[in-house]
Amino acid sequence: MKESIRPSAFSALGIAGALVIWQVLAAANVAGNALPSATTVFATLATILGTGTFWSALGATLGIAMLALAIAALAGVVLGLLIGSFESVRYATLAVLEFLKPVPPIVILPLAVLVLGPTAEMALFLVVFGCLLPIVMQTVDGVQGTDPVARDTARSYGMGEGEILARVVLPSAMPYIGTAMRVAAPAALVVTVVAGLLGGGPGLGQSIYQAQAAGDYASLYGLVIVLGVLGLLFQGATRLAERRVLHWHESYREVVP
Amino acid sequence: MSARQAPALPTRNRKSTMAQQPETRISATTPRLDVAHLAKTYGSGEKSHTVIEDLTFTVDAGEVVCIVGPSGVGKTTLLKCLAGLHPASSGRAAIDGRTISGPPPEMALVFQDYNRSLMPWLTVRKNLVLPLRHLKLPAAELKERCDSALAAVALSHADNQYPWQLSGGMQQRVAIARALAYRPEILIMDEPFASVDAQTRFDLEDLCLKIRKDFNMTILVVTHDIDEAVYLADRVVVLGSRPARVLKVVDVDLPVPRDQITTRSLPEFARQRTEVLSLIKRPA
Repeated sequence: MKESIRPSAFSALGIAGALVIWQVLAAANVAGNALPSATTVFATLATILGTGTFWSALGATLGIAMLALAIAALAGVVLGLLIGSFESVRYATLAVLEFLKPVPPIVILPLAVLVLGPTAEMALFLVVFGCLLPIVMQTVDGVQGTDPVARDTARSYGMGEGEILARVVLPSAMPYIGTAMRVAAPAALVVTVVAGLLGGGPGLGQSIYQAQAAGDYASLYGLVIVLGVLGLLFQGATRLAERRVLHWHESYREVVP
Repeated sequence: MSARQAPALPTRNRKSTMAQQPETRISATTPRLDVAHLAKTYGSGEKSHTVIEDLTFTVDAGEVVCIVGPSGVGKTTLLKCLAGLHPASSGRAAIDGRTISGPPPEMALVFQDYNRSLMPWLTVRKNLVLPLRHLKLPAAELKERCDSALAAVALSHADNQYPWQLSGGMQQRVAIARALAYRPEILIMDEPFASVDAQTRFDLEDLCLKIRKDFNMTILVVTHDIDEAVYLADRVVVLGSRPARVLKVVDVDLPVPRDQITTRSLPEFARQRTEVLSLIKRPA
């Protein structure tokens, strides 16, 4: 069998196929006005893209998602290093963290709205809450996965504990942290939108809610398409960043000895 | 082995972690490295596990001493005690009469697992720089140390590569260069050539002897390879197992400089290796 498959060609074919199916289903009127045709949606999307409200909503969503992601990454890595390095801290925190881990952000959304109101801060809080724990847990795993030989090497050369943490443990935990970030980045976007959709926070989630409330399904679908594209971009950006930071790791090495 | 030189190199890596002891007096008879009744037991109570019961031997300045013994005898545990990574349970290990209580600044360690001991995210040169950072050397000296260490192991051309881009033998040379750049007076190697092919192994053994000559270093090598021990050493410490104890210290009277072909074909070489081998093979 010849390996002559061109991935990009098949992806394009798949997308085109999905659009055609959508168009046909809409034309067959399977869901009434709840499913406008693809052409209508894209035409509406073009109009939306020309409005200032759309761009400020997009900016709000991106700003909240990225700021929250940065906060979660920074705090998560610092906490993870501490928890992973000190047994006492680990025993003191692990039960609580394990308890909180399966709690989805949506569960505390009503509480967050009650305390913070339908604000950007509320959305920020929810996203940080949703992304922090996976990053902490992965960092802890990374710290504990640090090769004891690497640690012993550093210690035998008289490196201090702080230096070892920063220059040996943190870099060797980076692959774990990278994985956490790859999962957290799209999740940050999702939670930001949910905070807008259900909690009234600013951004595209709120726009979608308004379109839905007004029965403007074409706009609703258009915004969902925008979100899908944003998700792809987030995923791609984190992959790219991961590849750059972890170019030395087995899974990214370009030169095989 | 008669010509035992006093250490010509001053202590260059400050921040001594040794306990300063009142009885410390360096005389001509103080060995460079003194292991006296060293014991190491892991755990306590019923679960305790004695790896080393009572080890006594010395290494003089400028000597190459090899430690051989059956696998699992506790050689790595011994090195960890010497390197100050694990405290001894009883007895002591001392450098110039000062008890080792933490990683000694005049000692560098080369591990068997170069691919675990070198940092894969750092280039060769940055691997050399990593343990030197805390010494806060002037930039010019830092560069000079790395340059000369890489030159000594013939890897000047590889300084911008990553360890995983190099062969096993080259990686172990990087690990040795990292130790050299630290400018230790005592170099300790744990099965350093066990993970490379036979030809590379010969080259690295000769590199080891060259380092001793060029840098006037005191070198302690742990190995399970008896031929290697006899070839490298001025004295071979033969360990018996479970728990580890010194069976005998064998003086190696082979002429220097040594050569892989001529030295290994000497009748004396065969006699010495037979002596060591029969000690190890002998039922305890």
